[in-house]
Amino acid sequence: MTSEAKTHAIDISAMQRDNRVLNLEDETCTLEVKDLRLSYGDKEALHGIDMKIPKNRVTAFIGPSGCGKSTLLRCFNRMNDLVDSCNITGQIMLDDSNIYDRSVDVAELRRRVGMVFQKPNPFPKSIYENVAYGLRIQGIKKKRVIDDTVEWALRSAALWDEVKDRLHESALGMSGGQQQRLVIARTIAVKPEVLLLDEPASALDPISTLKIEELIHELKNDFTIVIVTHNMQQAARVSDYTAFMYMGDLIEFGVTDTLFTNPTKKQTEDYITGRYG
Amino acid sequence: MRVSLKEWTKSGEPWVWLNAGAVAICLIMVVGLLSLIAVRGLGHFWPANIHQADYTENGNTLRMAGELVEIENVPAAQLRESGVNVPEGLEFMQRDLMKIGNRDVGGSDFIWVLDDFMLNRTTPEMMFAAERREWGNFYGYLRSLKENGQVVASHDGYEKNAEYMNVWNKFQASIDRALDLHHQIEEIEKDDIGAINYELERLRLKERSLQLKEVTDQSRYAEIDQRRKELDAEYQSLQQVLLDLYTQINRDTFTAEAAGGQVLEIDVAKVVRAFLPNNMSITDKVLHYFAKIWEFMSADPREANTEGGIFPAIFGTVMMVILMAVMVTPFGVIAAVYLREYAKQGFVTRLIRIAVNNLAGVPSIVYGVFGLGFFVYFLGGHIDDAFFPEAKPAPTFGTPGLMWASLTLALLTVPVVIVATEEGLSRIPRAVREGSLALGATKAETLWKVVLPMASPAMMTGVILAIARAAGEVAPLMLVGVVKLAPSLPLDTNYPYLHLDQKFMHLGFHIYDVGFQSPNVEAARPLVYATALLLVIVIALLNLSAIAIRNHLREKYKALEM
Repeated sequence: MTSEAKTHAIDISAMQRDNRVLNLEDETCTLEVKDLRLSYGDKEALHGIDMKIPKNRVTAFIGPSGCGKSTLLRCFNRMNDLVDSCNITGQIMLDDSNIYDRSVDVAELRRRVGMVFQKPNPFPKSIYENVAYGLRIQGIKKKRVIDDTVEWALRSAALWDEVKDRLHESALGMSGGQQQRLVIARTIAVKPEVLLLDEPASALDPISTLKIEELIHELKNDFTIVIVTHNMQQAARVSDYTAFMYMGDLIEFGVTDTLFTNPTKKQTEDYITGRYG
Repeated sequence: MRVSLKEWTKSGEPWVWLNAGAVAICLIMVVGLLSLIAVRGLGHFWPANIHQADYTENGNTLRMAGELVEIENVPAAQLRESGVNVPEGLEFMQRDLMKIGNRDVGGSDFIWVLDDFMLNRTTPEMMFAAERREWGNFYGYLRSLKENGQVVASHDGYEKNAEYMNVWNKFQASIDRALDLHHQIEEIEKDDIGAINYELERLRLKERSLQLKEVTDQSRYAEIDQRRKELDAEYQSLQQVLLDLYTQINRDTFTAEAAGGQVLEIDVAKVVRAFLPNNMSITDKVLHYFAKIWEFMSADPREANTEGGIFPAIFGTVMMVILMAVMVTPFGVIAAVYLREYAKQGFVTRLIRIAVNNLAGVPSIVYGVFGLGFFVYFLGGHIDDAFFPEAKPAPTFGTPGLMWASLTLALLTVPVVIVATEEGLSRIPRAVREGSLALGATKAETLWKVVLPMASPAMMTGVILAIARAAGEVAPLMLVGVVKLAPSLPLDTNYPYLHLDQKFMHLGFHIYDVGFQSPNVEAARPLVYATALLLVIVIALLNLSAIAIRNHLREKYKALEM
């Protein structure tokens, strides 16, 4: 990809053109969830989820607080492993192999399935070192390669122009929105296949939020994106597919336009019309 | 407007007053403590005037001269009981402690005199004070200077005049010459001959080790013999130089008249410095004062530690604390990382934490006993058996020394480092760890590259607390390596440069030794204060440098506001 040629404006007509042909059955699927059950101690938080995440699309998870959407997201890169009392059954297939298989290298899985968290969490290092971190972890030592990848990642995250003159200053001096885009740059620098975004804009101001949303739209050409959001407008704006979850169940999953304009389930309709949540 | 007591209490003001009062009392106590030791300690170096007076007690009159050190009031009744003829109607009498020096004349260099019985007080301008390497200070009038027994200058008066000053200036020149020679002698004896002795000892050990290994190759013995002969030759030539220097240094003597009229002949080589305190201007006195303070900080002790400097003790203290910090930091950090990050949290880890916290409360002397029993005798003994069999039966590491002292103190302070590091690790935001893990880093990589650097300020806090505790510890050190007088510093130019097996001096122990083990209590007392002040300063400096490092790290790894 030549980074110069990239533009960051949203091409509305392309979006609408895309939406018209969207159909879950026609998509190639990256992640497939099969009867996933998750419990914290005795309390079951996910009661058997089945779904397919389409490749190179943006899939949004919506639902009221505590419905399990973040928990499900964290299952995709096994972040829940860090919780001691967490117990998971079922399967998640990534390119036809189960990520919960015992032979899976979790670190390698997490490289393939990157994650951006709710609050920006840059490391207390320079901007450059933040982006280079994942590369260094992989054992890449050539300065040329790292330099190029850092630049590519920062350009892809629409941050290059703002930070190119202060790459070696601390990342902690950036604004919240810049930090979040830096974290996205850091995540895509290791070239993951899937990008998990856990309410990436909830701690940001409206302008930063808009930038992140534009970025998501750009990034879906290269990555499969799964985003959790509280904000239904955001889900409607950025996603191709939307899953509505409630109390640990997947209630409805479909093309975003359809789900918001013509939900098939009563609970979905109640939620998107603001009757609860 | 009057406020009722109830309302006043409710407003919380009494608590503010109480807290402020407590803080004020603490401050006053700390400042008071520091100023007491500062005044007592630093006053010692001021060149005080020499008073001369006729002292009459129970009919005996004695002319004496000396520095006024201390004043106190004694009840007249007590004096009467001890047979002093006290005038009627007096309830108290002032008693002065005079430093009269001249221990070789009168036997003791401090005496208590009753102020009222001193007559004809003067501060004669030409009364000089001489600091000597033996017998303490001398006070008196210069009479003559001799070279090889021949008088080169002499004068008999007590007044300041050109003739007296001529003798005095020649005397000063002679002292300077002797000091220069003394310096040369010291250099040869300590450095050159010290190095030769050290190498000879190593050769002896090498030979012995060859014998123990039953090596029969005679060429290797011959090599050692050859080198020994070279060293012997070198030693002989140095000895010749020394002999020459000693003849030179002993050339000059001077005669002086003490206040009581006795005339003494003293070697110039024995004098460290001589000065006329009553004739000094205030600038001279200030210069003299700072020269004395510098000597105190930079020179070796003299006369059973009651004179000279305490540099070896400062050096030993700092060296030991640095070694301790180098040992305790990795040890404590590794233990804390395991306990916090890897160990399964449960009953056992809780038990370990309780045990670690309680270790910090064990009396330090217990650590000393443990250090002596385990480190020195057990570990040291086995190290000697394994690595230094040639030196036996003389122990190398099987005797108290710098390494065991540092290790004992490291053990004493390791709980502090563990607790502080654990605290720091627990404060690293979860989000940062997850951020690293989400990029495909393993737990160990996350620890090394993100968590530990961010926790480093907390580790430094632990090290600061450890230094603060260790630098002031004396009790365990007395068992595991500190001595009253160490012949050489543990760091020198002889291979392997850092001598971990050597005994060393320590400021804390020096205070105890000078204050309570000294044969000359009066002379030692101000040094106790001065050494205490220096100990406080050394600890403060060690702490400040650690704090500076911590602040630098804090700035670098400023924790995220999460």
